[in-house]
Amino acid sequence: MRIDSVNPPIAVFLTDEGDVHAIDDTCTHQDASLAAGWVEDCRVECPLHESTFSLLTGEVDQPPAKRGVRVHEVELEGDDVLVELSDKAPQLPPGVTL
Amino acid sequence: MPITPDCRILIVGAGLAGYHTARGLRAHGHTGSITVIGEESRPAYDRPALSKAYLTGAVSEEDLHLDDPENPLDVTWVSGRGVVGLSQSPLGVETNDGGFHEADAVVITTGASACTLPPAESDSGSYVRPYVLRSMEDALALRDANLYGADVVVVGGGFLALEAAATCIGRGAESVTVAAGEELPGAKRLGRPVGQAIRIAHEARGIQFAPPGRAMGLRSSYSGETVRHEVVLEGGQQLEAHVVICAIGAKPRTEWLRDSGVPLTADTSAILCDDTGATSVPGVYAAGDCAQWASHSSGLRPVGHWQEAVEEAGVIAATLTGANPVSLQEPYFWSDQFDLRIQGAGRIHSADQHEVLEGTPEEGNLLVRYLRDGQETGILGINRLRDVKCWRKRRQIRSTPAQQTSAPSTGQIPTLSR
Repeated sequence: MRIDSVNPPIAVFLTDEGDVHAIDDTCTHQDASLAAGWVEDCRVECPLHESTFSLLTGEVDQPPAKRGVRVHEVELEGDDVLVELSDKAPQLPPGVTL
Repeated sequence: MPITPDCRILIVGAGLAGYHTARGLRAHGHTGSITVIGEESRPAYDRPALSKAYLTGAVSEEDLHLDDPENPLDVTWVSGRGVVGLSQSPLGVETNDGGFHEADAVVITTGASACTLPPAESDSGSYVRPYVLRSMEDALALRDANLYGADVVVVGGGFLALEAAATCIGRGAESVTVAAGEELPGAKRLGRPVGQAIRIAHEARGIQFAPPGRAMGLRSSYSGETVRHEVVLEGGQQLEAHVVICAIGAKPRTEWLRDSGVPLTADTSAILCDDTGATSVPGVYAAGDCAQWASHSSGLRPVGHWQEAVEEAGVIAATLTGANPVSLQEPYFWSDQFDLRIQGAGRIHSADQHEVLEGTPEEGNLLVRYLRDGQETGILGINRLRDVKCWRKRRQIRSTPAQQTSAPSTGQIPTLSR
């Protein structure tokens, strides 16, 4: 799911394996929400093209995106998901600013 | 023809298909030389933004470069050279500086060039070439044009025309008129609800639509420093404009192959290939907008999409390196117009029926499915990223049998009906 109360927005995923991951929500190629993407094998594929990002490291596997996304630390406390935002600089697509 | 990992591969055309062919060859472990000849002097770039964010200034030329400066491909780029002929023996290509580039395999990815409006038949007036959108140079010219207070006419009713029209509004044009063949742009191809959604969104932003009809020609007249254009429509009606943008299709860049023995289609002069990208000339392959593969010839697939060029390049790279064969996926296209993100997948072009699953044209949130003989063959979503991605992934053909978890080739195919 997309959380846009932070800037840039983040995407939080619950995988089929039951793990929770948080990464930046915006594809680094073009403004598209990764929360609307396809999750498989701990990677999310952008809903617009075929670049996939690791939910563990944020790295990207193939064009059109060239840069990875930030990964945010996740902690589960009961039913709550606590996300510690990365302090690295986000890699936003061209034309998108904070 | 056996291609060894150390042989010399020549790619003619430095666009999307050329870049992805080179990238795929290296990814599959090709160690021999790869040379990419490009007509333009700029580094290889991606075109979709040229009719969108590049025109509004949101993205720059550097943003559109295909190669990653931090991790560049190991290829020799020969830039600023046109090609004039292909020789079968020795196999190679002649460039317009008199050079001959010999190779063990040639992949032709010369793309297409924009069609334009001819001069209108008349006894008066002159002809000034309208703006077109194909190359970075074309887009740069339009980006540099002063649209403030201008009457703009966009000729064409396809996505390229509509995207270009959408960018003109924010640039201060006094009026923007789309001259398309259809009353509801795209309705014939994509169905009436989609055409309505597009027209409603554009009209809401102030774009006008001329009465539907074919544009026949263009004439221009000077009054002092100012130039005025008239787009002449079928039936004689004329649209006056300061700026005319023409987006009425493209034709394959294959004129240089006329005497080469490489077979071209009779109607469009596209390079005829089988579904591995091979032409009937040994060692010569073609991909992207200059090519017509067997699946295109038989009407199974549409031509000219971005995705098509990327996938064809992947197929050829696998063919040339002897890697596991790669399958073409369901066709896919997308377009951004104002706040509409339109995505279509599957064989929409050959559907005989469409059905709105969700949303309305007015709300800009349509989900439409397409059927042929009662079978679902395609999907189109407006601001429906998740739905379209799911549809495509469920039908994805996986390359290795071990990973085949979905997309059965026979039997029940999951559909979006609910």
